[in-house]
This record gives sequence, C-alpha cells and structure tokens, in this order.
Amino acid sequence: MPVYVDVDRCIGCRSCEVACQRVHGGIGHIHVHFVGDFASVPIFCHHCEEASCTIACFSGALYKDGERTAFDVKKCTGCGLCSLACPYGVVWTDKIAHKCDLCEGRAEPACVATCPANALTTDYELASRRERARAARAAAKGGRR
Amino acid sequence: MTKVLVPTICPYCGAGCGFFIAVEKERAVGIEYMLDHPVSEGALCSKGNAALEIVGHQERLTSPLKRRGDGWAKISWEEAIGLAAKGLGDAKKRRGPASIAFLASSKCTNEENYLIEKLARLLGSPHVDNCARLCHAPSVVGLNRTLGAAGMTNPIPDVASSRCIFIIGSNLAENHPVISRWVHRAKDAGALVIVADPRETHTSWMADIFLQLAPGTDVALLNGMAHVIIREGLLDGEYIARNTKGFEVLAESVRDFTPEKAAEITGVTADEIVRAARAYASSPASSILYSMGITQHTTGTDNVQAVSNLALICGHLGRSGTGVMPLRGQNNVQGACDMGALAEFYPGYRKASDPETIKYFSSAWEADGLPTGPGLTATEMIEAATSGDVGAMYIVGEDPANSDPSSRRVRKALDALDFLVVQDVFMTATAQAADLVLPGAVWAEKEGSFTNTERRVQWSSKALDPPGSALSDREIICRVALSFGLDFDYPDAASVLAEINRTVPQYAGITRDRLETGGLIWPCPSHDHPGTPILHSSGFKLAEGRAAIVPVPYRPAVEVANEDYPFVLTTGRAAVHHNAGSMTRRSPSLVSREPDLYVEINPTDAAKLKVVDGDPVTVTTLRGETEAHARLSVGVKEGVVFMPFHFPGTNVLTQETTDPEARIPEFKVSACRISRRD
Repeated sequence: MPVYVDVDRCIGCRSCEVACQRVHGGIGHIHVHFVGDFASVPIFCHHCEEASCTIACFSGALYKDGERTAFDVKKCTGCGLCSLACPYGVVWTDKIAHKCDLCEGRAEPACVATCPANALTTDYELASRRERARAARAAAKGGRR
Repeated sequence: MTKVLVPTICPYCGAGCGFFIAVEKERAVGIEYMLDHPVSEGALCSKGNAALEIVGHQERLTSPLKRRGDGWAKISWEEAIGLAAKGLGDAKKRRGPASIAFLASSKCTNEENYLIEKLARLLGSPHVDNCARLCHAPSVVGLNRTLGAAGMTNPIPDVASSRCIFIIGSNLAENHPVISRWVHRAKDAGALVIVADPRETHTSWMADIFLQLAPGTDVALLNGMAHVIIREGLLDGEYIARNTKGFEVLAESVRDFTPEKAAEITGVTADEIVRAARAYASSPASSILYSMGITQHTTGTDNVQAVSNLALICGHLGRSGTGVMPLRGQNNVQGACDMGALAEFYPGYRKASDPETIKYFSSAWEADGLPTGPGLTATEMIEAATSGDVGAMYIVGEDPANSDPSSRRVRKALDALDFLVVQDVFMTATAQAADLVLPGAVWAEKEGSFTNTERRVQWSSKALDPPGSALSDREIICRVALSFGLDFDYPDAASVLAEINRTVPQYAGITRDRLETGGLIWPCPSHDHPGTPILHSSGFKLAEGRAAIVPVPYRPAVEVANEDYPFVLTTGRAAVHHNAGSMTRRSPSLVSREPDLYVEINPTDAAKLKVVDGDPVTVTTLRGETEAHARLSVGVKEGVVFMPFHFPGTNVLTQETTDPEARIPEFKVSACRISRRD
C-alpha cells in the first residue's frame, strides 16, 4: 500500500478529505472515519497487491500499474462491480467508478502533503521506523503492543 | 498559458501557514503547498485547503452600499466616503471625538491595523480595539505583568524539542492542526503530553495524562500542581532566586492547596494532579500551550498568571523546548495588538495612559491633541453604544453581532448608534445593522504583513484584484482619512511598514525587503538583527530584570449550575469552522461537513432528558434560547454540555460578565437548561 496511515497521529481534522476533493474537481476519494469519540482514521484505496476490483472489472478500466491500482476513466462502463468487489468499501460508483489515484501527476498525493499531523506518508521506511519505535516504547514501559 | 504561484499566508488561524495561490489569466486556479515553510512544511488544515472558496464567492460585497429603508442601495465610492466622513464628523461635532469608536480587524494586515488606530487617534478618539479582547486580552494583561511580554515565548517548531508538553484549555488538534505535527514530533522523541480540558477533544487523543477538569476550575488545578511542585521540592530554586520575585508569597498562598483540595474543586483525581505536576516539573524542558480555555473566563487574567507561575517556579522559560505559549486564534490578532489597535496601548505596547507615549506620537505623527487612554474596550464600546456615550462606530472586518456574548444585547446596541459604518467582505450580521457598508478585500486581494501567534512577521503577496469595485482595506482607510484632511499618503503597504519600522521598536528591523519565506520573529530592533525566536533567555524586561510570580486565589465562575439551569454550557470550535463563521459557513466543502449548530450532551444526561442523537433541542440561559441538534458524546462529563460558536445561535446564550482586568467575557461557563423541541 503506497500511502501509509499512522492511526496514532490522525487528529480527525479532515484536511485530507478537503484537499482530495480540491484536487479532484470536487469529488474526494478519502474519508475520515471516526471511532466513537476516541479515534479517527482516514479510509481510502489500499492499492492491494491482488486487487479484487481489477479482477472484477471486465472492461479493463481498473488495472494494476506497479504498486498502484490504476483507473482508466475512458474504459469505465459504470457497472459498479468494482464497488461490490472491494473488501474495504473504498471504490464507489456514481455514473463512473471513483477511487484514489494517488494524485497522478503530483509530486506527492495531496492528502500526504497536506496532513497537518504527518499521519500519512508514502515513505515505507518512516512508517516502519515509527512502528518499531512504538513497539520499543511499549516494551520499555513493560508491556507489549 | 503561464501559471504564476503567488506566496500568501493563510487567512484563518494564528499558526500562519503559508501556501501559494496559482494564478492564471488573473484567476485563482488552485493552491500549491509551500514545502519550505518553517511552521507548516507544506501542510494545511481543512480550512486552509478551502480558503479559495471564499475568494470568488457569489455573496462577496462588490460595491459600497447605503441603507435605504429596509434594503440597500449601491452607491459610488465618492458618495460612500462622503457619507462616512459626514457620519463620523457629525458625531465628532455634536458630542466630541470620544463619541466615535473604532474596531480594527485581526483579519487585516499589520499595515491596515496601524492605519486604523492612527486614524482613530488622529481624529481624537481613544476608543480603538480589536477582537483580541475576546480571545487573548488576559494574556496581554497577565503575561505583560508576570513576564514583561505578551507573545508566545518560543516558536511553534520549538515544541518538538520539549520533553513534556502541557496543553491546557486548547484544542489545538482542531483549531491549530499544524501544531499537532510538532507535538507528535516531540512525542516521537519520547516527550510526555499532558492535556487538561473539560472535554475529551481530538487534542486529548495525543495525551499521556488527560485531566478532565470542570469548566472554570483551571486556577484550582494549577494551584494544586504548584503545591505539589513546592512540597516535593521539584522547583528550580536557582532559577527562582536569580530571575524572579514574589515566590515566597506564592508558596504561602498555595500551602493549603493540596491536590486533594484541588481534586474536590476540579473533579480530577488527586493522583492525576500529582502525576501531572511531577511530569511537568521534573522534565528537563517543559512547555505550556494554552488558548481560549484559559482566557475566556471572568478569571482569565488569574488563569494566565497561574500558568506563568508554574513555568517560573520550574524555570521552564528562556530555553529551547520550554516556554509559555498562548496560541492565538486569528491570522493577525498578534499583529493587530502589536500595531496598537488596543484600548490601552499605542503601537508597540506603549501605554496609552502615559504622557510620554502621547509626546512620542505627537512628534512622530506631527499631530496635536492625541487622546490619552485607555479607551473603551470592544466589550465596553457595546455598552457605551447602548447608553449613548458612543454615537458612531467604524467597524472593520469584525462581526460583534455574532462573536460577542449575549448577541441580542449587541444587536440592540448597534441599532442604537446614530451612525455605523462596517467595512467587510460579506454582509455579516453586524453589517446588516449598518448605515453604510464598504466592500473590503480578502487576504489574496491585497499585500501586507501578518504576524502569527509566534510573533513571526510574514509578507503575503497580492494574487488577485478585489471583485467589482471593492478596494483593499488600506485604500479605504486612506480615503476616509483624506476626507478629514489627514495626510494619509500611503501608496502601498510597504510605505506603511516603513513608518512602522520607525515607530514600533519591536518591528524596527522588519523591513519589506527582509521578509522572505518564513519572515522574521519580533523583537527585531535593527536591520541586521536576526529576530528573537525565544524570549526571556537573558532575564525579563521588567524591574530588576526579574519576572513576577503573582499568587492567584481561586475564584469560582460567575454562573454555576442550579435548579433552573442544571447544566454548565461551555463553548469552543470545530475543526472545519472558524470563529463567527462568516467565511467557513460560506465555504461549501467546510459547511457541508458541519452544517448545523449542535450541542454535545453526555448520553446519561441525554437519557434523562429523553433525547437521542440528532434530536432537535432548545438550549436556554438567562440571556436567551437557541435551537440546536443534540449530539451524544461521552467526551463531555455529566452536567456539562458543549456548543461550537461558529453559528449565530451560540452567543445568544453566553454571558457578558467580564474579567475585571482584561474585560474578556466569560464565554466558557454559562448555566443552561435543555429541553426537547416537540
């Protein structure tokens, strides 16, 4: 998954939603989900290695392009099979399919650049380093996580 | 087609994030992130991302308007300036210059605020203020007394060097989202975060220790912590001896303020108070971040002083990672204060009551008869309008009809004025009450400097022309001043800044050509001075170079829950809105995410009221009643309810009782009752 989420960092400010909407002509592909009053997490396309949406898509509009699950709008028939196939509910159909395109053409996805709390990153090293640091801190406090 | 990227400063909160406006064919076509900005590093919150939505908004004011019966007539600038001059001039002639009051704007540039207060004072009125009165007036009064300077002591990125961050009365995760990036960076390095708030907020998600105190009990919590620190000898005796005075009196005053006593008042357990006190005092570098939860109380000044006491007895000042940080709510509320748009100060915090000040500005401005202050504060102006002592007002970019407490009373006061001129970008509730409305420009349509919450002065460039015949606020003020025969010959913002360099010592070295990305942090006394990111590193600008430790007795809030009004209402902000909402409620991608006024109620209370999530309810206080939707949340304790103040209804409920010194109203505590609406 090319965009990594640090749930501990998400502050539920919804900047990613507004930024995504802004650079995609008013239609956003990321949604901040609130878990009660305790946490929030941005939900968007995981760009799965074996993406069920690409398997379900008979017209070839959805296809794997390296790590990215790419979308060719010209081939989309709007049938909605991808929405049904996606196990995470992050592809939906409204005349045509809508999903995260990792902001093709931008140096970095808008959600990653705009996130005030640095909760989103495309840097695998950073994401794994944070995870290790968290585990180390938990261990230092005498517990496991 | 060539696309130009124009660097600007975000018009919303006080964090001062920068971004580029992409301009093509004189139209704004998008936002690009400013990756090398020292505070935001390219990040923007939801409001910043939506900022362009208000620029070309269809409801923008595009022409001067005068009241005609119940409606408005478009008029020319010549007629408008004539009416403004006549309205203000008549009031001056009839009842003297002190019958005119001015509200400057914390949304306008430093240059514009300087011109507004200069206009007021050259016309002979001491009454000029800005909405800092409603947010950080207690910081100005309290911190000037204890530390000798009212700004944030350390810059925002410096928070990352803290080992313990104490956030009290600030929901920065929603209100200043980019600051949370620096808090997280400190956490990555092992810092401990303490959050004290009556509500479990997005900020409290970051906390290692969360203290959920009852609204209005901050002094009790802070005194309890000071007690623990002194009792356990966690203080910095050397620092106290070298840099402060008044410690003995404080030690005496908190001797009986045990954590158990503090626990009884605040509702936080004694254990947690002890834990927080130990963590704050024993870390090598601790910082305190606070905001409206500290200031918007009748005990606002006390709260601020209690915060500064804690920093002083632990010696957590003047070094990287330490500090007392009042987080300011608007992009230029710091600057408006620096420029002297305050009732008690001329530019550069020169006391308006001091004959030396008057002498200085009489010579600097070549003017006679400058008024001695302090003038009326923003809240007192409204009272004076009701009583008739103020007959005319000139309000720039502020919306007291929505942002002041007890808004029904405010609207009556505005209606009672003989003449009201409002200069704004939208037809706000305040503008609705005006005789004359002058269309101003938003940040993108003018240039000038803004000073963010860290005292960082940044230049924002002009990307677009204002719509229709709207003008930049500088041009409007200059035209009004010229009509009074005043010599306001300022062809651009830089020429005003050049005068500010001469008259405001803190800004002496902050010239236009030095303001590149990242700006300069005042005090910057000369052209080769690098600015002063960290204050108080070598003593304090007070007598003997010592900071004052001031004992603060605990006083309860004015209103407490009672039989008729069993809930305590506290107010605050939501992530996707800003202040009175005149901008964010017009911004489609923001208002769609938080369209209506809601009231957060604890589910146990809701069950007793037979209210479920989403039910329409009526909230009533002694001042009035408001309709809102119930939002059930365990984030508020039983007996406490919360409403955001971005919608017109909320401040109908709040009370006008003010802090005796800083004159800030007690927005944060009102007794209310709630009933189902059906």
